[in-house]
Amino acid sequence: MKNNIIILGGGQAGIYAAREIRQNDSESNIKILGEENLLPYERPPLSKDFLLDKKNEEDLYFYSDEVLKKENIDFEYVSITKVDFENKKLFTKNDEVYFYDSLLISTGSENKKLSLDNNLINDVYYLRNLEEAKTIKDKVLNKNKITIIGGGFIGLEIASSLSQLQKKVTVIEIGDQLMGRIIPKQIADLVQNIHLEHGNEIILNKQIDKIIKKDDMYEILLNDNSLIETDFLIAGIGSTPSVKLFENTNLKLNNGITTNQFCETSIKDVYAAGDVSNFYHPLYERNIRLESYQHAQNHGICAGKNIAGVKTEYTSIPWMWSDQFNLNLQLTGICDDYDEIIERGNDINNGVIYFFLKNKIIRGACGLGIAGKVGRDIRITSKLTEKNTIVDKQILSDQNLKLNKLIQK
Amino acid sequence: MSEENWIEVGSTDSIEEEDLIRFDHQDKTFCVYRLIDGFYATDGMCTHEAVHLEDGLVMDDEIECPMHQGIFNIKSGEALSPPACEDLKTYPVKVDNDKIFIKID
Repeated sequence: MKNNIIILGGGQAGIYAAREIRQNDSESNIKILGEENLLPYERPPLSKDFLLDKKNEEDLYFYSDEVLKKENIDFEYVSITKVDFENKKLFTKNDEVYFYDSLLISTGSENKKLSLDNNLINDVYYLRNLEEAKTIKDKVLNKNKITIIGGGFIGLEIASSLSQLQKKVTVIEIGDQLMGRIIPKQIADLVQNIHLEHGNEIILNKQIDKIIKKDDMYEILLNDNSLIETDFLIAGIGSTPSVKLFENTNLKLNNGITTNQFCETSIKDVYAAGDVSNFYHPLYERNIRLESYQHAQNHGICAGKNIAGVKTEYTSIPWMWSDQFNLNLQLTGICDDYDEIIERGNDINNGVIYFFLKNKIIRGACGLGIAGKVGRDIRITSKLTEKNTIVDKQILSDQNLKLNKLIQK
Repeated sequence: MSEENWIEVGSTDSIEEEDLIRFDHQDKTFCVYRLIDGFYATDGMCTHEAVHLEDGLVMDDEIECPMHQGIFNIKSGEALSPPACEDLKTYPVKVDNDKIFIKID
């Protein structure tokens, strides 16, 4: 049957869903509505290779216009301002109407903003999209001292890039460790040391009391009365799911759009995928919301299958990475619910991994190493957590013993 | 076909089944794999970012990049999963007297 399928949100989850639907359904109309005037593109390089001029805008697009044309996937740049779920309609601010039979919401997430005095609102920069990355890249050219507010993935990746551009970088983090929301302290401390070795200043446990603008620079007053002088301010303090459009509708929201393991929301024929979805994970038996490359892709694909009528449960094990300097950090599974930690390796040149176990079963792992050194073992861990495997701890802790055997039949 | 392009990699027992080794020759670097049905070779570096696939995971006929989980078919070099989108170059392999050789062009 020929349906109208609309994908609201032109990011990674949206494009992967669209292509998956087309693979399973050659007839239906598929239309992606994107707010940015750009085809879907990769975001991870924005804070790294794009700032460092190692990748250009053209390198970032997932698929070309030709691919979308060939697969008969429409892409429109439009901003939807109202949703009528009952009558299956979307409206623009000019009251143009889009009808759908099935709707996928993949609106992603947006940056949390600092609460600042009016005169400073345009002085703090954020990085989520290509436009913002271009702005930062351009503006830092003639700046020297850069302050980054927030010691999470994005802040530290920018800190790493700007350090490589010979900037004097200070990172201010309110918590008592870097990347505290998801990364175990053992690995966070190793990352901190690398930043210090490269000359970045890391300030933990401090809050900003006040930012004072002085001609071309700023003074940042911290809650211990210390003062930091800086030429440029960037903030990366987390994100929230983009759900404003749905706040006064029947769509069930709870830290994003509540979705089951089939990407279905509380409203029939409405699906959600990617950052915006707080989905039920059968393995963890609870809802989780993830913001990662792998999740956006795989959740989009899963939603695409379900929309096309191929009932598919989403059971993907969380996996994420961050690249800072020449290091690659990876995390898989759940690392905050454990009763035992096992360490593998003690030198980041060969990779250091911490495994997190509960009731002897591996729940997750987090590792750091020179590019590529922890990837295989982290990947194997993903597979082990999928199967609730009980593993010989000796093998986990001895870097001379390969983990490959653990997943071979 | 000139015989001199066949370069000796090492003995067949230097690679475990469903695994790989790195092989460097002059200024080039390769991965040589032992799959269930034989030996295969590809370029060593991932086509997505400059990281060596020697630390990747071999599963069936696929090699997964250790950095960002791009996946390639080892036999054809085809990029199967993003972020990898450019295929990996493959090389002919032969085994002679328990020694592995790859043909470098």
